[in-house]
Amino acid sequence: MISIRRPASPAYICLPLIILCVLLCFNLLRQTLPELSLGGFDFSAASDVKAMSTVVLQFSVLPRVAIALLVGAALGLAGVLMQQVLRNPIASPTTLGVASGAQLGLLLATLFAPGLLTFGGEWVALAGGAISLLIVLSLSWHRGLAPVAVVLAGLVVNLYIGALSTVLILFHQEEFRGLMIWAAGSLAQNSWSDTLNLLPRLIVAAVIAGLIARPLALLELDESSASSLGISIRKLRLVSLGLSVFITASAVSLVGVVGFVGLAAPVIVKLMGARTLMQRLLWAPVFGGLLLLTTDLLLIQYSAQLPSVVPTGAMTGLLGAPLLLWLIPRLALKDTSASANKTTLQSAGKPTSRTFLWLFVLLLVSIVAALFVTQSPGGWVLNDTAQWASIANWRLPRVLAAAGAGILLALAGATIQRMTGNPMASPEVLGISSGTAIGLIVTIYFSAHVTAPLLILAGSVSAIITLAVLILLNRRTGFQSERLLLTGIAIAALFDPLRSIFLANGDPRIQQVIAWMSGSTYYVDFSTGLSALLIAVMMVALTPLVARWLDVLPLGRNVALGLGLSVDKVRLILLGVVAILTAFATLIVGPLSFAGLLAPHVARMLGFSKALPHLVGSAMVGALLMISADWLGRQMLFPQEIPAGLVAALLGGAYFMWGLRKY
Amino acid sequence: MLSFLDNSLLSARYSCYQKVLVLGLLVLLLFSLMLVSLSVGAAVSSPGQSQNAAPPRVATIDWTLVETLLSLGVVPVAAAQIKDYQTWVGEPPLPEQVVDIGLRAQPNRELAASLQLDLILISPLFSAIEPTFSQIAPVQTLTTYNPDNDFWQNLVETTRRVGEMTNRSAEAEAVIDRHRARIEQLKEEMPADTPPLLVVQFIDDRHVRAYGKGSLYDMVIRRLGLQNAWKGETNMWGYTTVGIEELTTDGYLIVVDPVPMSAEGVFDNNRIWQTLPAVRHDRVLSLPAVWSFGALPSAVRFADELYQAVTGHAGTHSGLSDL
Repeated sequence: MISIRRPASPAYICLPLIILCVLLCFNLLRQTLPELSLGGFDFSAASDVKAMSTVVLQFSVLPRVAIALLVGAALGLAGVLMQQVLRNPIASPTTLGVASGAQLGLLLATLFAPGLLTFGGEWVALAGGAISLLIVLSLSWHRGLAPVAVVLAGLVVNLYIGALSTVLILFHQEEFRGLMIWAAGSLAQNSWSDTLNLLPRLIVAAVIAGLIARPLALLELDESSASSLGISIRKLRLVSLGLSVFITASAVSLVGVVGFVGLAAPVIVKLMGARTLMQRLLWAPVFGGLLLLTTDLLLIQYSAQLPSVVPTGAMTGLLGAPLLLWLIPRLALKDTSASANKTTLQSAGKPTSRTFLWLFVLLLVSIVAALFVTQSPGGWVLNDTAQWASIANWRLPRVLAAAGAGILLALAGATIQRMTGNPMASPEVLGISSGTAIGLIVTIYFSAHVTAPLLILAGSVSAIITLAVLILLNRRTGFQSERLLLTGIAIAALFDPLRSIFLANGDPRIQQVIAWMSGSTYYVDFSTGLSALLIAVMMVALTPLVARWLDVLPLGRNVALGLGLSVDKVRLILLGVVAILTAFATLIVGPLSFAGLLAPHVARMLGFSKALPHLVGSAMVGALLMISADWLGRQMLFPQEIPAGLVAALLGGAYFMWGLRKY
Repeated sequence: MLSFLDNSLLSARYSCYQKVLVLGLLVLLLFSLMLVSLSVGAAVSSPGQSQNAAPPRVATIDWTLVETLLSLGVVPVAAAQIKDYQTWVGEPPLPEQVVDIGLRAQPNRELAASLQLDLILISPLFSAIEPTFSQIAPVQTLTTYNPDNDFWQNLVETTRRVGEMTNRSAEAEAVIDRHRARIEQLKEEMPADTPPLLVVQFIDDRHVRAYGKGSLYDMVIRRLGLQNAWKGETNMWGYTTVGIEELTTDGYLIVVDPVPMSAEGVFDNNRIWQTLPAVRHDRVLSLPAVWSFGALPSAVRFADELYQAVTGHAGTHSGLSDL
């Protein structure tokens, strides 16, 4: 799987971390118990200060170290299992919606049944996670829990539940102060109970993982040879997915959402030379625990000066992401050609021009509705052209922007999915929207006078920087899909801390940030909207130029080379195109619009499989999705407005789940 | 083998399974839509009848400014997130006829445009909406949270400016004088030997917000001639989120309501909480909810509650019993 340029072992990376942890721990002990350095510690002395520091050491510091190691190890183990079963290097323990289900459970309990929380928030979280897992399994059961079906089902359930949670957070920011800390993953402890809860579960899980390691390793073979060796594949998948989710849910329900470790630890130990599954099962938990502990100790050390709580969960990205970025160009991954494993759902029916016609009609209907139908304090109103001035002033820019952004994101998504052959790929996954968002947020909070041209400049510059990082890290290796996606995910993980500091501290600006980040057309004026649509239409007109490339690339590198395609150059150009599309869309509606992920999948379900119809179909679906989402978002909870990106996730997600049953 | 068996069994039940799944998805969608609308329960009231001519038709999306307007006797035509205002600010209550114009971050422009407003008041926090809202009516930005100046002076200044804009200058001066006098009076009556105070609000069972320099609570404490025990860094709004092990004050520990459900276990079975000096010496005071980003009325209400809690406690020495 991995060609090695020099002898490597995960020990090389674990050892420095251990040394660092020991040093930091020692320092922490000295700070907690100043008497230690004077030699001898008198436990019997009963002054307030001493009593306090002893209790803090015993019930806060030590449990925190223990829980960091345990949670990191649990997520590392869960991540290895998940990536093995789903055969996807960018799968993580939270891919199947466990964390988002747990969060929605807690949000609902806080709003409607706060009594449950005194009884035990942990169980509410577990139940939420279990329910979302059941939905994922039921959506992919009839396909024998095949990796691509599970991944897609997990993806859509994650999106759907995540969008629901975000809507609730948007409308109830004060009630959810505490939950936001949980959602960012705080390891603060006040007793040993979490540790004692997690430890036995982790031991049991590790034993089971050891038992199923051998058959699980055979999953790397293709399905038919694995089943000919006498393995019930579905049963094996069910057991390992269940195990992975059980460990994740236990960790998440206790300390909150700590996601990145579960993705990074398995990948990093693999990159460092843990080749077999057994090696990875051993090393990933060790490395995961150390990574989380190091992050946490560094945080304790340096966050005391900050006026805000900095949750550990999100911060693992700050340490893990650069490590991942540093490793990616150094060690070679095999190029998984898309044809080798079936990565997309093939449609049953063939598309006809009639499908296009239907899409076009639906698009017209949604535009008319978005412009002329609205709610008012008196009820539903059908405006006529007499109110055109007000319509042109308030609604037209939003419809234009929604259509433009939908098209841009859908084109970007379709291109990146065809180029990488990975169904989880989306403009967000490539990191460009996160990069752009970092630039915008930093500008907003560090400049006294924020103007539109300044924002556009900042957004474009940071998009270009992100693209440059992507190209620099991947140029030498010919833009392999896995490497490209991992780079993007690492960049996106750098954006997480920024976001979660806002969320966890209950910063009063939180509502604005959430609204903008979830894809809102609220701040768009007429000229921006119009230029968005014009650029989008222009891009659609240019699609025939790249259609042949995108037809050939999914056939795999060798086939493409054989057909005379200069693969590296083509991938570079396509990457540039995706970056431009994504940056534009991010500038208009913010970084997280699910249209880029969903529209290409929906277009495929409608039967568009060849590149050109797929691109055009995706663009139409994207526009339809965003326009209707924007309109519904303005009407559903009138006078409150729900950002279009969230409604798009709910609409597209519902259609997607309905469509999954056929495949 | 087994998987093969599974498959054949499954294909037999496939159509039935399909129906159940579709039904399930529909129910899921319906449920989630219901849930969202239920939880928000947008209470839309119709625009009120025209008021007496004197004050202009004002809308504001900032709750501190709502409170200021109401203290001057001006009822705004529209305000943002009214239901949440009633829950979190509460006092003074907003009359029924005030129109809800939606979220504070993204108030509904079409609705605002239909209300024939004369003036829109915002705080710098919401400056992003200024360009579009100034097409509806003149927008005025009032800065109350400015760490460089004295907080009390900021509040006085805001009240004065709101008074000018709404033709209520005389009322504004009266309100300022009345609130200042009340605080002076409480300062006189406050026991001279009151130890430093540490004001916190519980977030969950492990974290609290501690209020320091730049917060409403800190300003009131210092105006009452008392000391705030929280000396650490704070953010732009004067608070910081810390673990409960940091609350090692020898003076009073003031817990401002509401305590969230998830934190209620803390008082009975948390070793760190029980070891805190303030807890062991029975110096924890519980205060009714006061909006922590409030205007003059909130400040005086906090001062009143604080005075009652401190004097009540000094008299009976039974602070923990009500926790």
